[in-house]
Amino acid sequence: MKTEISFILNGLEVDVTVDGHLRLIDVLRNMMSLTGTKEGCGKGECGACTVIVDGRAVNSCLYPANEIEGKSVTTIEGLQMPEHKLSKIQQAFVDHGGIQCGFCTPGMIMSAKALLDSNPNPSDKEIREALQGNLCRCTGYVQIVEAVKRAARQLKSKQ
Amino acid sequence: MRRFDYFRPKSLKEALELKKTIAGAKFISGGTDLIVQIKNRELKPSALISLRFIPELATIEINGGARIGALVTISDILQHPELGHNYPVLTEAAKSLGSVQIRNVATIGGNLCNCSPCADMALPLLVLEAKVRLQSAKASREVPISKFFKGPGESCLASNEILTDILLNPPHNKAKATFLKKGRVKVDLAIASLALLLEMEGGICRKARIAAGSVAPIPLRLSKVETLLEGAAVSEDLVSKAQHLARETVSPITDVRATEKYRRQIVGVYVKRGLEKILGQSLA
Repeated sequence: MKTEISFILNGLEVDVTVDGHLRLIDVLRNMMSLTGTKEGCGKGECGACTVIVDGRAVNSCLYPANEIEGKSVTTIEGLQMPEHKLSKIQQAFVDHGGIQCGFCTPGMIMSAKALLDSNPNPSDKEIREALQGNLCRCTGYVQIVEAVKRAARQLKSKQ
Repeated sequence: MRRFDYFRPKSLKEALELKKTIAGAKFISGGTDLIVQIKNRELKPSALISLRFIPELATIEINGGARIGALVTISDILQHPELGHNYPVLTEAAKSLGSVQIRNVATIGGNLCNCSPCADMALPLLVLEAKVRLQSAKASREVPISKFFKGPGESCLASNEILTDILLNPPHNKAKATFLKKGRVKVDLAIASLALLLEMEGGICRKARIAAGSVAPIPLRLSKVETLLEGAAVSEDLVSKAQHLARETVSPITDVRATEKYRRQIVGVYVKRGLEKILGQSLA
């Protein structure tokens, strides 16, 4: 059984026809060719598939595509600035060595963005809590926390 | 993933009718447990009937007590100012459930209907003596949460019923409650967990409610330990008896997360730690 769904993807209205068993990550990667979002464990443990739905970070590997009807989805591709420049959060991850192999990075950055959008001035503890659902096997997390702190400072100074 | 159809009814009536007409269909709320179970091929539904498009299921109402819709997410509970103020033990448990991404999607009703022995939200609801409202096409019934769970993955919910609401009594001003959870890491499922509610009066325990998770086939009320504490002064000797009785009452299993022995030990430790936390004194 196919269903037509309409939603906002990175600021643009889109309509897709989906099978019942498809998940949000299937729509993003296979139908919209937005392969920035990664599938790690596929069980909601690793957070590599994190995207933002209506302002909240969610695991797109556990999110039925049918549920996205009428909602607004932001993926890592949605952070790109004009002239292909990186956003402040992305640049902070690059500058602080918060990226090594890079597989967890899109999910990590989306969780960081959801945090900073709702809490522009997070403590170290709040940053670590917000990223608890994102596993990184390379960095040891210290550089990632530093990157989020730097991004928070830069986003504030911009305002 | 195995194929299935997906339905998005807009009312309870429509949802219950779909369930009746489609053989092998299952209801889905947040889906953070259900989708994993389908992927692991533990469940093979022919269709999923989503409850997320039924607006009245996602509301919270404070009315002396509280009514929490089954589709309220764990994050919604954490962000609700009055719920947290009136029932802090509910917030403590909500904070401990999964990661941010899971809490943003997982629902309180889904956590209960999944009927895991480790269900984090079950424990505060057990000590608060909550009720759940179960709705079928023809009737609605209220069941005490202590009678809801029947075994791992099993509840008293009939196949033609939906858990619609969680009902909480008005908070008692003398009651204090706390929630404790031991996980391998913070985001993991509980190795063992405990909720404890006490009403004290002049150094005497007037009421005790204790519930433990991951140590029995269901989230379990420790009634014997409650009876031991009630009407008594909470002394070091009594606490040590309560710990012993708690360890004897539970029936944990050994699995990938912990051994049966370790789980029993934790329950004992948590009985004491919970009492210490509520009474604000050391019971060493």
